[in-house]
Amino acid sequence: MLNAAKSEFTVANAYRYDRRSAARWLISHVMRYKWFFLATLLLYIGTYGAYTASEALIGQAIGAVIAPERFALLPTIALAILGLKLADSILSLIGLLSIETIAQRLEVDAREELYANLLGKSQTFHNQQRVGDIMARATDDVQQLNGMINPGVAITLETVIGIAVPLVFIASLRFELLLVPTLFVALYIVSVIGYVRRLNPMVRRQREQFGKMNAGLEESISGIEVVKASAQEAFERRKFRLAASLFRDYFVRQGYIEARYLPVLLFGIAFGLAFMHGMWLYQQGVLTIGDVISFMGIMGVLRWPTFASIFSISLVQAGVEGARRIVSILNTETELDQNSGGYNQPIKGEIVFENVSFGYDRNHALRNVSFIVRQGQIVAIVGQTGSGKSTLTQLINRTYDATFGRVLIDGVDVRDWDLNALRSQIGKIEQDVFLFSRSIAENIAFGMPNATQEQIEQAARMAQAHEFITSFKDGYQTLVGERGVTLSGGQRQRIALARAFLSNPRILILDDSTSAIDSATEDEIQKAIRQVQQGRTTLLITHRLSQIRWADMILVLDAGVLVASGTHDELLRRSPHYRRIFARYDMALPPIEISAAD
Amino acid sequence: MGFLFDGLDAEAYDRKYDDRQLVRRIVGYFQPEARRMLLVGFTMLLDTLSRAVVPIVISRGVDEVQLTQDSALIVTYGLLVAALGASAWLFNFIRRSLTAEAVGNVVLKMREDAFDAVMKRDLSFYDQFPSGKIVSRVTSDTQAFSSVVTLTVELIGQLLLVAVLMVYLLFVDLVLTLIVILMMPFIIGVALAFRKVARFTVRHSRRVRAEVSALVQETVSGISVAKTFRQEHAIYADFLKLNRRSFWINLRMGFVFTGIFPLLNLIVAVAMTAIVYFGGLRMNAGALSAGDWYLFAQGVALIWFPLTSIASFWSQFQLGLASGERVFALIDSEPKVVQRDNRVLPALRGEIEFANVQFSYTDKERVLDNFSLHIRAGETLALVGHTGAGKSSIGKLIARFYEFQAGRITVDGVDIRALDLSAYRARLGVVTQTPFLFDGTVRENIRYGKAGATDAEVERAAYQIGNGDWLKSLSNGLDTEVGERGSSLSMGQRQLVALARVMLQNPAIFILDEATASVDPLTEALIQEGLDAIMKDRTSIVIAHRLSTIRHADRIIVLKKGQIIEQGNHEQLLAQGGHYAELYNTYFRHQSLEYIEAQRRAAETHAN
Repeated sequence: MLNAAKSEFTVANAYRYDRRSAARWLISHVMRYKWFFLATLLLYIGTYGAYTASEALIGQAIGAVIAPERFALLPTIALAILGLKLADSILSLIGLLSIETIAQRLEVDAREELYANLLGKSQTFHNQQRVGDIMARATDDVQQLNGMINPGVAITLETVIGIAVPLVFIASLRFELLLVPTLFVALYIVSVIGYVRRLNPMVRRQREQFGKMNAGLEESISGIEVVKASAQEAFERRKFRLAASLFRDYFVRQGYIEARYLPVLLFGIAFGLAFMHGMWLYQQGVLTIGDVISFMGIMGVLRWPTFASIFSISLVQAGVEGARRIVSILNTETELDQNSGGYNQPIKGEIVFENVSFGYDRNHALRNVSFIVRQGQIVAIVGQTGSGKSTLTQLINRTYDATFGRVLIDGVDVRDWDLNALRSQIGKIEQDVFLFSRSIAENIAFGMPNATQEQIEQAARMAQAHEFITSFKDGYQTLVGERGVTLSGGQRQRIALARAFLSNPRILILDDSTSAIDSATEDEIQKAIRQVQQGRTTLLITHRLSQIRWADMILVLDAGVLVASGTHDELLRRSPHYRRIFARYDMALPPIEISAAD
Repeated sequence: MGFLFDGLDAEAYDRKYDDRQLVRRIVGYFQPEARRMLLVGFTMLLDTLSRAVVPIVISRGVDEVQLTQDSALIVTYGLLVAALGASAWLFNFIRRSLTAEAVGNVVLKMREDAFDAVMKRDLSFYDQFPSGKIVSRVTSDTQAFSSVVTLTVELIGQLLLVAVLMVYLLFVDLVLTLIVILMMPFIIGVALAFRKVARFTVRHSRRVRAEVSALVQETVSGISVAKTFRQEHAIYADFLKLNRRSFWINLRMGFVFTGIFPLLNLIVAVAMTAIVYFGGLRMNAGALSAGDWYLFAQGVALIWFPLTSIASFWSQFQLGLASGERVFALIDSEPKVVQRDNRVLPALRGEIEFANVQFSYTDKERVLDNFSLHIRAGETLALVGHTGAGKSSIGKLIARFYEFQAGRITVDGVDIRALDLSAYRARLGVVTQTPFLFDGTVRENIRYGKAGATDAEVERAAYQIGNGDWLKSLSNGLDTEVGERGSSLSMGQRQLVALARVMLQNPAIFILDEATASVDPLTEALIQEGLDAIMKDRTSIVIAHRLSTIRHADRIIVLKKGQIIEQGNHEQLLAQGGHYAELYNTYFRHQSLEYIEAQRRAAETHAN
């Protein structure tokens, strides 16, 4: 049922990543910079090698001092220590820079990939999802990838290397000294896993409760007029106290878990036992006192890696979860059959619905809808929210396909049309008109980038927008959006109408549910819509009485069922639904004729 | 690690309370937790001592074992170190648990006080502050405050460790201690300098991130439009440019942040080397034992982390005080609406009188000036006028949401300032311009109008609005979830729920601010029918935006700049050709069916 992944947009020379699973995807991204990664690894090993060696040398320094014949070595050893620590600093700096680069590149690459992928998805996908929401989530997730690598993976690497390297040094000092540190590392790993397992759910619960407390409070405050007017302050107070107390409980429980962090205990005990072991070997004559101090110094190196690892675990987890979500978006396919060999003719504009139903199980957005719209007619679609108005229009340009019945344009089933040819001739103006942060002229000419200024102005004039556009200081070059002017709903609508003029669709679907505050704007919008209706089949989802009153045909929908269709006069006589609208207008209603069919 | 990076993006805040006042106030909140805090201090001391003693014990151990070679001694020292480590952990555990409890309780109390204060305020307060800011004071500022307190306690512990160690080291060897002391200003200095640079970089990077975010959001929302017009490549090019730019800026920030630790390590390294060298010299001269030398090396390792934390301490502390201050400012602000008495009117008829009322929201312009109006019980009044004419103020004053500056308002002959507000408001039904719904079911929202109403009562109220036909359009009737703020319902449906709520409340006085948003004609009809039902035999004050409502009112009041300039019914006022006629032509004309018919005929004859 799904076609092979076809994209409506591709970037030349794009790097191909592995999208089979989140883990593979992450690895394929990181592998793009495998030399950086290798470098980081080697640099970290170098860093810890230098650092541990310097700690070990401190012990040797003591040995040099105790044995008077070796005293001359002291300055050399001191310099060596300094040199090693310098090397440590430099190597760790370069290593961190290297992994920081990987982290930032991962974020940028992932964002590019996601964006190109979204652009390539079909119209169907974009009409179904709230893409803005997806991208918001994805932006968060993409940013978390950054934190996952640095500090997440960086610290994990550091922990592993920071434990392995000192152990190697200890072994080279005296193999049996490994006894205590190895035991410590094993117990440490176990306790950290347990710690994270207990901590993370509590952190999540706390965060959620904070969100709930916030949302509840926000609600009480936003609705304060209602709260006061209904004298419900005590009720709100109780609600808030409950939420805040629960938060306090989670906060304290998290505090207990964090306080109990076992590795600190383990390390403290291990330190003592290591000391004991070291001194005992010294007594045996196997180690010098310098060796013992070296050993304690190297044990001290273990302190930081064990402490740091707690941060990294949750970061890596969050990153992987985010990656999973991103990969699922990347892999989503929703495609209708493009049917590129299908019917491809200029649309005349006749639309027929034959027993069309849409929906699944018990959620039917449309039920058995049938009507005929002739070429060039103006159709007003009236109904409450959820009555199926939008769904009806979405079946015309094949945003969705009917689950039962047929939709015909010019006598040909929409499924037999070439999808591209069909969609390019049907224009749609949404309720929330989207304009880019560009000039007004560019917005109007969006579909026809080669339009001349004259053509643009002509379209604006027809849409009754020319006056207000020229009233701005920069006229047609005025920028829209955050960096430019804020336009009112009516003004945006007229710019969208101008845009539609230029693209000249044969069928126009207009969701005209905006309200005008003043009669002057209202008149302008009426004029604009009247202009744009000329010569093309127009479907208006509208609330305006003037649109309804003078449409060639009115479709009244109620819960997915077409309860009435016809002209204003016909409906006034036949439809109780329709009559109700006009009941309070102090006009004499014609006598009602209810036929057996209604 | 955390301390160094905390609070880099703190905003400047204008402080009104001084530090000492705030600290005293904060300490006041901690008083109920006095016992816990005492224990916290005590365990902190023990923890510090345990940790400080470890290197000392080891150094002693090294020295003694060198001398005596006693096995039992080795075991003793080893176990002692282990025991000290364990006890440090134990004391730390107790301290952190107690701190969490104390801070949790204090923050809860602060939040409750803040909430109570918020509820007491009158509406002028809510006009001043957006709800987001108020919420953030009650929840986020208290949260920030709690983090800072916890951090401060941590930090005090760390500093104590440094202090104890330094004192001991002074007694052991003066010269080496001086070396350690010399290192301190360098570390603190570097940390402070880093924070300055970092603060700047963070702000810059945050700004760019926000830009990228906004552009991405916008272009993504526009993808559908872009696809309609086949302009994918154009927006991709824009996106690419911005994305790449943000990469470089974030990389720079990342480099700044990663650079700091190697640098600090270097300083410690220099100090360590100096200690090794000079320590060695002094040991050779017999002034120092091996154990003591080890002690110094360890000491340096232990104190550098607390030192970097000091750098961030002062700004953290200020942040905490600032957060605390915002919360206290909220708690301390005075409500403006204050009642003189607690009278209850058992049978409220709804006769209202304004006598020479002066009212302004802020100290700026007066909204109502010498305003007088008599409203009969059961009358339906429509208020019209331009924005700022004073229409909504009248309703808000009747609801006692604001305090007026001069004149008198009486309800059923009783001064409004003498009424018991709870009882009075229970008899008042208010529907705002954008009706507010709580997250829950339709049923629960309706029930909010009368605490403890039965299901039968709720259903009856719902059916009284337009014969309950509106319930059929809901996905699950009365049990439909309305979502946050009622977002799952359409604007029209939300209004219907609000009307049903008022119906249930059965108030004596009904105040309505009509919505201006457009609603489909079917729902509009239901709303009008609902309004008819509610306004019958009830004093109703309507800020009217619907021609239909105006025409059905008993009396229309035309307001201009806080004064009544015309009164009457629709036909009379229109015939007068005055301010009302002007308002009609500006706002209401297009709602008139006659006008629509006339327009169309004109357009048709024009075309012919």
